[in-house]
This record gives sequence, structure tokens and C-alpha cells, in this order.
Amino acid sequence: MSKKLIVLFLGLVPLLCTCFSPDTPSDRRVLVLLDDFAIKSSHSIFFNNLKSRGFDLDFKLADDPTISLQRYGQYLYDALILFSPTIERFGGSIDAAAILDFVDSGHDLIVAANGNASDLIREIATECGVDFDEDSSALVIDHSGYAVSATEGDHTLIASDDFIKSDVILGSEKIKAPVLFQGIGHSLNPSNSLVLKVLSASPSAYSANPKSKLTSPPSLTGTSMSLVSVVQARNNARILISGSLSMFSNRFFRSDVQKAGSPTKHDKSGNEQFVTELSKWVFHERGHLKAVNVKHHKVGEVDEPAIYRINDDLEYSVEIYEWSGKTWEPYVANDVQVQFYMMSPYVLKTLSTDNKGYYFTAFKVPDVYGVFQFKVEYERLGYTSLSLSKQIPVRPFRHNEYERFIPAAYPYYGAAFSMMAGFFIFTAVHLYHK
Amino acid sequence: MLLLPRMSSNLARLLLLLLFAFSICDAVALPGPISDRHRSAALELFAPQHGSFASLEESYEALRIFEILAVREKPDVRATTCPKVLENLVSSTPLKDLFYALKVNGILKCKVNGDIFKDIASRLKATVKDAKTLVDLYYSIGSLLLIKDQASDVDVLLADADGTFHSIKALSQSDGKWRYTDKPESSTYAAGLALEALAGVITLASSEIDQSRVNLVKNDILKLFDSIEKYDDGTFYFDEKLVGGHEHQGSISTTSSVVRGVFAFAAVTSGKINLPGDKILGLAKFFLGIGIPGDAKDLFNQIESLALLESNRISIPLILSLPASVYSLSNKDKLKVRVNTVLGSAAPPLTVKLVRAFSTVAKDSAVIQNKDLKYDQNSGHHVLDVLPDEVDVGIYVFVFEMVLHDADGEKVYATGGQIHVPIYVTGIVKVSNAEIAVLDNDLGSIETQKTLDLAGNDIVSLSANHLQKFRFSFQLTTPRGHAFKPHQAFLKLKHETKYEHIFVVGNAGKKFEIVLDFLGLVEKFYYLSGRYDIELTVGDAVMENSFLRPLGHLELDLPEAPTSKAPRLPPLAVDPYTRYGPKAEITHLFRTPEKRPPTQLSLIFLSLTLLPLIGFLVGLLRLGVNLRNFPSSAAPATYAILFHLGIAAVLVLYVLFWLKLDLFTTLKTTALLGVFLLFVGHRILSHLATTSAKLKSA
Repeated sequence: MSKKLIVLFLGLVPLLCTCFSPDTPSDRRVLVLLDDFAIKSSHSIFFNNLKSRGFDLDFKLADDPTISLQRYGQYLYDALILFSPTIERFGGSIDAAAILDFVDSGHDLIVAANGNASDLIREIATECGVDFDEDSSALVIDHSGYAVSATEGDHTLIASDDFIKSDVILGSEKIKAPVLFQGIGHSLNPSNSLVLKVLSASPSAYSANPKSKLTSPPSLTGTSMSLVSVVQARNNARILISGSLSMFSNRFFRSDVQKAGSPTKHDKSGNEQFVTELSKWVFHERGHLKAVNVKHHKVGEVDEPAIYRINDDLEYSVEIYEWSGKTWEPYVANDVQVQFYMMSPYVLKTLSTDNKGYYFTAFKVPDVYGVFQFKVEYERLGYTSLSLSKQIPVRPFRHNEYERFIPAAYPYYGAAFSMMAGFFIFTAVHLYHK
Repeated sequence: MLLLPRMSSNLARLLLLLLFAFSICDAVALPGPISDRHRSAALELFAPQHGSFASLEESYEALRIFEILAVREKPDVRATTCPKVLENLVSSTPLKDLFYALKVNGILKCKVNGDIFKDIASRLKATVKDAKTLVDLYYSIGSLLLIKDQASDVDVLLADADGTFHSIKALSQSDGKWRYTDKPESSTYAAGLALEALAGVITLASSEIDQSRVNLVKNDILKLFDSIEKYDDGTFYFDEKLVGGHEHQGSISTTSSVVRGVFAFAAVTSGKINLPGDKILGLAKFFLGIGIPGDAKDLFNQIESLALLESNRISIPLILSLPASVYSLSNKDKLKVRVNTVLGSAAPPLTVKLVRAFSTVAKDSAVIQNKDLKYDQNSGHHVLDVLPDEVDVGIYVFVFEMVLHDADGEKVYATGGQIHVPIYVTGIVKVSNAEIAVLDNDLGSIETQKTLDLAGNDIVSLSANHLQKFRFSFQLTTPRGHAFKPHQAFLKLKHETKYEHIFVVGNAGKKFEIVLDFLGLVEKFYYLSGRYDIELTVGDAVMENSFLRPLGHLELDLPEAPTSKAPRLPPLAVDPYTRYGPKAEITHLFRTPEKRPPTQLSLIFLSLTLLPLIGFLVGLLRLGVNLRNFPSSAAPATYAILFHLGIAAVLVLYVLFWLKLDLFTTLKTTALLGVFLLFVGHRILSHLATTSAKLKSA
């Protein structure tokens, strides 16, 4: 009996471990850290949307002493949502370094701040290349792009529609209405090339305390200020950082919106669409690529050779797929490029495609020998980067592979052979002439 | 030290709830009463799946909410829910299910046999006697109460009401909280349950409960209200500390439990419970401040508590709300105030008084004092027709007070005294006298000066060098003719390379002026000469015509950076669209093959090389070559033929070597042929030599 139980248990072990893997890059278990359980209810549309997409949300108070991200060196979660802007110190074993380690090991993160963002949240954001306004009382104010509201007069409720132009991050469907935003702005660290502005402030926006007079210019103004940013780390971990927690709230999801100066009043703000699409991206339901079946061979052959000779004609092909949240779908693009590379690219060619994920091209091996690489360095806005390289040596001609019977040498051939014919006749004549 | 996390958590909650209530200055925008949004949210959250709700508890919550909110398009779940109710109405069901089955039955009025109630009632009575835990008592007493309403012929009266009352009271703590069981942890949530159960006991008592005991409980209620938590804006609520063993209840469910218990108790006892009206109003504010919860349970707790507050015996809160807190002077908006009960029904006759209104800048001088608002019968609003001339654009705090017409009303209703509301009065600010000039530094004489109409689209183009100054000025006047200082008045200079410099334009009275002395700014501008675009942003929360407009451009000629301290330009953000994207294609340039003569030329030379052979042959013929010396006897002739065949074979081998053979095969074959040639050559040559020697000697 006990033996059977052990067998059953051992059989279940692999089922219990649904860890992040490159084969199925889907985050399933998400830890949600909250300041207050009221957020669970006030932001329920967002959470329910995640649940309906198959995520397993684990709600915890951020100062709960029992929370931990990993146990016995194994991460317990695939993603983390920090909806606890005011937390000064996490409970349990979590701190800023633990969260960054979590990201460094390829897990995803959503951070939402608001006007009371704590130093801890700011520190995590800074590590991700996002610098929130240092003035803790500052809010984003926009006197030209605010959301018209009968009850909010201080223009900190912003209707923003300056989205990043990327179908992969925000979905192919256009965001229908402006997004309501109330919170703090941030700037992106210019030396960090991985962080992207998803929602920018309008040119007239600035970050300041709405209740005090301004004497010096605010540190964040105009379009260089970002409201919502994303980071895609080199290990393809994705991070979403928003200066507004209420952007995710039911109230903003359901609210109507009219941007100041615009005559159109939308019945529903763009928040739900924006946040849903963005969360799809963050949780790898879009824009996660994989390349398989990298092949190359000589024209007319099938097998991959161990070495190429200079001036060979070769064919190169690769299949690229995109994760759709459930299956791998063929990735369709017309800008995948392959490099034939030794110290620098000798050939850089755009691959043709059959629009079913198969990319191919043919080219002639350069007349330089050495150890080359086939390199596909595919980096596109919002997509995970593909970096494939395959080493292949290239040799020069062998002695017998050069050209024979060169027409220019015919006189030499003729001279030699006429000489030989003459010799033969001469021997006969010389010996037998009388 | 241990207190710290607790405190930070409380602080977090406080700040969060303040965010819910949109705190502004010292006054707070008031949340309005329940509206249609709650109705649609209720329909959304309580959507039956396959015609019924997941549990009886949820069914009850849904039906109760639809009832309170008078939702018209409510889903019909009677057909699917009634069988479930009947299924659970047997005496063996768990108490909780029984309780909710009865609650649902109370609303749906399913056809239940009277005998069933009798069975259940007798079981419940037995339970009440033996019950040790508060939850069991709560459910069984609650169920008995429900049976009493649903089947009047069933005897539900408790014989030993005093004893039951005592056993519940025995679980109370000195601070007004209750314990679930004998264990020492006390809970506010449990207090709510206990009070509701006690109210039930009083109703079900066959003989009157001792009044002194009832008064003790009233005291407990007052003590419980001492532990109420408070926000600065007058919101009151109960919060639960974590208790072991029981599910943690959030502040909404805790507060709601207390509200249910206290009002149930107040309803069945004679005499008033002395709870201050502002705390009751504070509780109402708490539930309204939540907005629309996204959780079904929270919504139920919110709506049910508000319904209880609406009709309670202690004091009924009246909610003053403003449809809009932003008033436009240019649209001549009227200030409207609405007074409702929490569920949005009409308030008793009353007058709303504007006690005073003051600007947030000058808090001491009131712009309006003691004004009664007119009640507009049609819209149900209290209206202030015209804002007086003293009210200019700006942020004000209006202080309202409700005065009930009925003098006794103060006892029934909680109005909350003076209510502070922030009001934004907006208007169009006149922008005029814009001037832009380049001045010579030393003399201050004007080099070029241009006037601009900031309302239009004119654009100037200027040029200056580092020895000159740039001056820009304009005037802002409020609709009432006063000076206006906007929150945002920025002048932005933007270089072609995207480096931006922002300056705050200061003012003296109405006039705004900024002077940029380029000599002092050279370093700040990173010694970057060239075209700078000038942009002006003027904006304020109360300025309806906030604008951002390009003023033109300035061609700036700055000195070269001294090499010793060459400015290090801060890095600019990289445009993400250009960073990614395909690279230019590279094709390899192959080495060009060496130049070769045309084939014809080679053929001509080939024929030329053949000429000597032809000449040789012709010469031989001309000399009259013969082969008479060829041996005539058989053996030498054979050798001669073999010798020449051997030579021919060597020559053919050379041709083959040229065509395809490699060196080793060729050498091997040559060696064999050589031996053969040596042999036959020796024979034929020695034969020829002897023949010629014979001839000579002969």
C-alpha cells in the first residue's frame, strides 16, 4: 500500500513543478503583494482578467511575515505583482535584492507606484532603469491634457494617449480611448537601453507638487517624462513599471473619459485595454520568439557540411515561432537577417519567408577563408531577442580544384605537344634514314 | 520594534483610503450616494452561472442586493434556487447552510411544508441550548428568527432566553469585543455577530429579558465604539486585528458586521443607544468612500450596511454631495448641492446654508458668508444662483451646513455639522502684452524687439550672441481683473540636438518677465551654438485656456568651448524606433579574376606554335626522307616497332599526365616503360650499330 503511495507521489512530482521553462514560457503562478486587501477588491477587474487567462494569483499583504519568493533554492512563483506602493519594508525574506534576483533569474515583475511611493519601491524602479521624481510630493500635472472631470479640479487626473507604436507590446488593435493616469512620473535612465517608454506624458505635462508654488523648474517635464515604462532584460524577463496604481483600478477601468480640448467623450477609458494588452506582453503571451531548425547546406544538397569551400553557394534556413499564450504560432516578419560573420559581417542578408515561420536565403561563401559564423541577431522593439550563431570553417581551393585547360595557355600546350610529335618523328627519321 | 510593521501597515491603509476619497487640502470631495453604477456593478458581480448561484450564501447576497437596490432587470433564479433551498431545509444540514437556505426562502418564498419548519425549529432549539461557540449560536438563533417570520404557526420561542442571553454575554470582553469560543482571542467581527444574536434572543424570548442585562450590552456597544478607527476627513470604521483560528476579516466586513449587530440590537430594544451622530455619519462615509467594490462579498456588505444605515433607529445619516466641484466662471455655472440619504432617496425638508467660502491662499478672508441655497424642486438640488464678484478664479473651500426644517430632525438625522468642500473656480485668463526682445548686454539697449499675440499663431525668429540678453514678458489677468499667478509658467529653449533648458517665468504683479543673460548661461547651454526653438507653457488648474505654444526660434551664437573644460554632454535618450530595425544589407565583394587575353588570340598563337612542326615535316619531305635503314629481319624489326611504340607510350603517358593522371601513377608507369625502353632500345640500337659497323668495315 505504502509502496503504491510512494509511486503515486513520485508520479505526481513532475506535475507539481510547473516552473518557467523556455519551451512553455508562460508564467502561471503570480505572487501579488498588496498594501491592503481592499486593493484586491478595488482592482478586481484586472485580477479577474489575469485569472481568466489561466494565472494562479496568490494575494499576500506586503508586510506579511510569511511571504517568500523561493524555498530550497526553487522559486515558488513565476511572476510578481507589487501593488504595494507605500511599503517601506517587505515582510518575510523579501527585500529589493531578492526581487532583483527574482528578475535576474528570468521572472517577470509588475510594479505600480503612486503619490506615496516608498523608498523601497523607488529603489526597485531605479535598479530597473526608471527614476521616479525625487520629490515625494510631486504628481504628474497636465493643464492641457487632463481628463475632464466635474469632481477633480487639480488636473492630476491625466488622459494620456501618447502610446508606444508597437503592435507587439500593445496589441494589434489600436487603444480606443485615452488612458486615465493619476500618479507620479519618471524618467528613463539614458544609459539603459533595455527600458522603453510605453505611455509618455504630453509636451505640456510636468511633475510637481500641485499644492505648492513652483520656484525652480521641475526635474521632469514634457515628453521626456514617462508615465508607464517596460523593461525587457537580456534574459527576457519583463518588467512593467507604472507611476499610477489607480491606473489598474476598477474605477478607472469603468470611468468615462474626455480629454481636455477634445470634443469626443469616450464611454469607457482605454485603461482596461491598455493594461490587459500590456500584461499580456509582460507575461510573455506575446512577443516571445523561439528559433528552431537552423539549417544550412550547399545548394543542391541536403546535409550540413563540416566545412565550406570559398565561393560555394549555400542555403540557410531557420524557423521562428512566437508564443501566443497557449501554442507556438509561426512568426511573420520580413526583416529577419542573417550574417556570415568573421570579426565583422562579410555577408548580411535579409531572409525571405513563406509567411509560415520559415525563413530562408541563399548566398555565395566569400572568397576569404577562416572560421565563420552564421549569426542571426534579431532584436525588435518588444520582441525577445534571438541570438543564434553557428560556427562553420571555410577553406580555400585544393590544388586540384583550380581551373584546368585555360584558353590563354593553349599556345604552351600546343608548343609542348608539337615538340613531342616532332621528337617522335625525329627519332624514327634519325634511326632509319639512309 | 515589533510595533513598526503594524504601524506602517496602518499608515498604508490610511493613505490608501485617503486616495479612495481623493483628499484635497483640508477639505475632501464628498462621495455621492449609491447610484446606477452600483446597480450595474451588482448585476455584473452577481451574475448567475447556468441559471443559479454557486452557493446559497451567494444567492442570498445577490437577491438581497437586488432587493435593496430595486434592480429591475434582475436575473430570475427562482426555478433553480428553490429546489436547492428545499434540499437544505432538513434538520441534518450544517447550520450555516440552513441559515442561508432560510434567508433565501425569506426572499423567494418557495413552497415549503410547515412540518419541515417544525422539525428544524426543534433541532435548532436543542442546538441553542448546547451550543458553545458564538458562530453556532448566531446561526441557530438567526435561523429561528427567520422561521418565525416565514411560518407564524411554528413555536420558535426560547424557553430559557435568559440563559441563552447570558451564555452569549459571557463571551464578551471588557473592551466591547467578543470571543468566538472560550479561547481568549477577541474580535470586533464577533462582536457584530454576538449583538445580532442577542437581538435575536430578545425577539425570541418567551418572557421579557431583564432590562439591566440589556443595558449592560448597550454599554458594551458604547465601549466597542470607543475602539472605532478614524480618518482625518471624518470617516469612521472598524478594523480587525489578526486573530488566530478564524478567517481574517477586512475592514469592510468587520464594519459591516458591527453595523448589522448594533442596528439589529437597537431595533429590538426600547430606549435609545447613545451613539453620536457623527460616528454613524462616519460609518456611512466609510461605506460610500469605498466606491464600487470589485468583490461580490464587499459589495454585499457595503450595500446591506448602507441599507441598514438608511433606516436605523439611532440616527439616519444625510449625505451632502456636489455633482461638480469644478465651476467655470466663463460658463456661469451654478453651484449645486444635493442632499440625500445614503441610498439616494430624498432627504427631509431642509435648507443648505453656505456658512462661508474662503480661498485656499487667503484662509482668513471669507469671500462669501452666510448664504442660504435655494431649493429647486424639479432637480432636487440646492442651488447658489450667482457666485458673487469677489469669487475670482482659484481654489476655494466652501463650508456648508444643513439646517433641518423640522426641529426634532436633529435627533433622527445625522448631518455632520459643517462640511468643508474644495471648489475649483475656473475661468479664462487674459494673456496680453507679450514682448520678446534681444538686448545688448552693456547698455541694455534694445537690439530687436517684437510683440506677439499669444492667442494667435505668430512666430518670431531672432538671433543673438553670448554678449546679449534675451527678454520675454507677458501679462496675465483674471476675468475679474486681478493678477494671476499660474502654477506652470515655463519657457523652454530646445536645441536642435534635443537638449532642453527650462526656465520658470517669474512675475511682479500682473507682469511676467524673464531675462536670460547668455553670458552666464554659456556653460549651462554646453557651448552649443545653433538654432534654439522657444516654447512657452502657461497652465493652471483653474485656467481654462492653459496653453503650450511655440514662440519661434533663436539663432544663438555662443563661443567655442575652451579645450581645458570641454563640456561633457549628458547622454540623450535613444529613440527606440531607430535603435531597433533591420540593418543595411552587406554583400561580399569577390576578388576580380586576373585579366586574360581573348580566346581568339590564344588560338592564333596556338596555330603559330604548330608552325615549326609543320615546317619540320615539310623540310623532311623536301630532303627526301626515307626509312630504308629499317631492319629487314624479323627480330630487329619487332624490337624497332616495340621501341617506337614504347616512345609513343611515354609521350601518351605525358598527355595522360596532363589530362588526368597524378604524378605517382605517372612515375610508376614511366619507370616500367623506361625499363622496357632500355631493353628494346638497347637491342635495336646495338643492332643498328653493328649493321653500320659492318657497312663501314665492308
